[in-house]
Amino acid sequence: MTNGKQHVGRCYLKLDFEKRKACFTFVIQIYVMKFLLPHRYKKIGAVIAPLGFCLWIAMQLGYIKSFLIYFFGRLDGSYEWSAYHIVNIAAAVLGFLSFLVGLYFVSFSKERVEDEMVQKTRLDSFQFAAFLQIIVTIAGFLFIMFAGDPGESGMMLFFIFLIFLFWLSFIGRFNYILHMKYKQ
Amino acid sequence: MKNTVKEERIKNQLTQIQLAELIGVSRQTIFSIEVNKYVPSVILSLKLAKAFGKKVEDIFKLEKSD
Repeated sequence: MTNGKQHVGRCYLKLDFEKRKACFTFVIQIYVMKFLLPHRYKKIGAVIAPLGFCLWIAMQLGYIKSFLIYFFGRLDGSYEWSAYHIVNIAAAVLGFLSFLVGLYFVSFSKERVEDEMVQKTRLDSFQFAAFLQIIVTIAGFLFIMFAGDPGESGMMLFFIFLIFLFWLSFIGRFNYILHMKYKQ
Repeated sequence: MKNTVKEERIKNQLTQIQLAELIGVSRQTIFSIEVNKYVPSVILSLKLAKAFGKKVEDIFKLEKSD
């Protein structure tokens, strides 16, 4: 009794070198396409990520609520709290999600010509971002050890900073290297 | 590793864009290979050799530091 995978494997071994190479290339292309979005998503991400970030920061600083009060005036008692609070939370969720989705689009979109040099630059940039993140993490914990407990919110901000440091340093390095290459 | 991609390209009267289209990469990749900023994979080296009608070892040579 043979299963499907063994059958495919046996058929693959019967192929000549050129056909095997074509099969291998096809599988690699499928693998790359599985994770990378078309190039147009990069532009969409480049627009929605900063917009989402601005919306999220505006909510954090209380500008959304001030904006609502300025335009719609104050409402009665608990009604004002619930209505404006819901809009405020919705703006925060929308802003943060847009920022994350934008980062995903920018990070995982193909370049116009997606060749092996671009793929190598992408991998190098991931390595750079991971290295930077681990260095900053160690430095941060050493700072906490000597400077004292920053509190729950301080630690949360530090972890959020670490997450974004990885993605932003990856995007920054990858695009900078490609930009310098395209300029040449 | 040094290479003679630029010399071979000029000998074959190809521009960087034409060579890039011939082997399916970007012009910047060809430039990076020519100025030794990028070492191509075996597949790309074979494609370059095939495009010039030469052996890979005629185009790419190891240096003492490699």
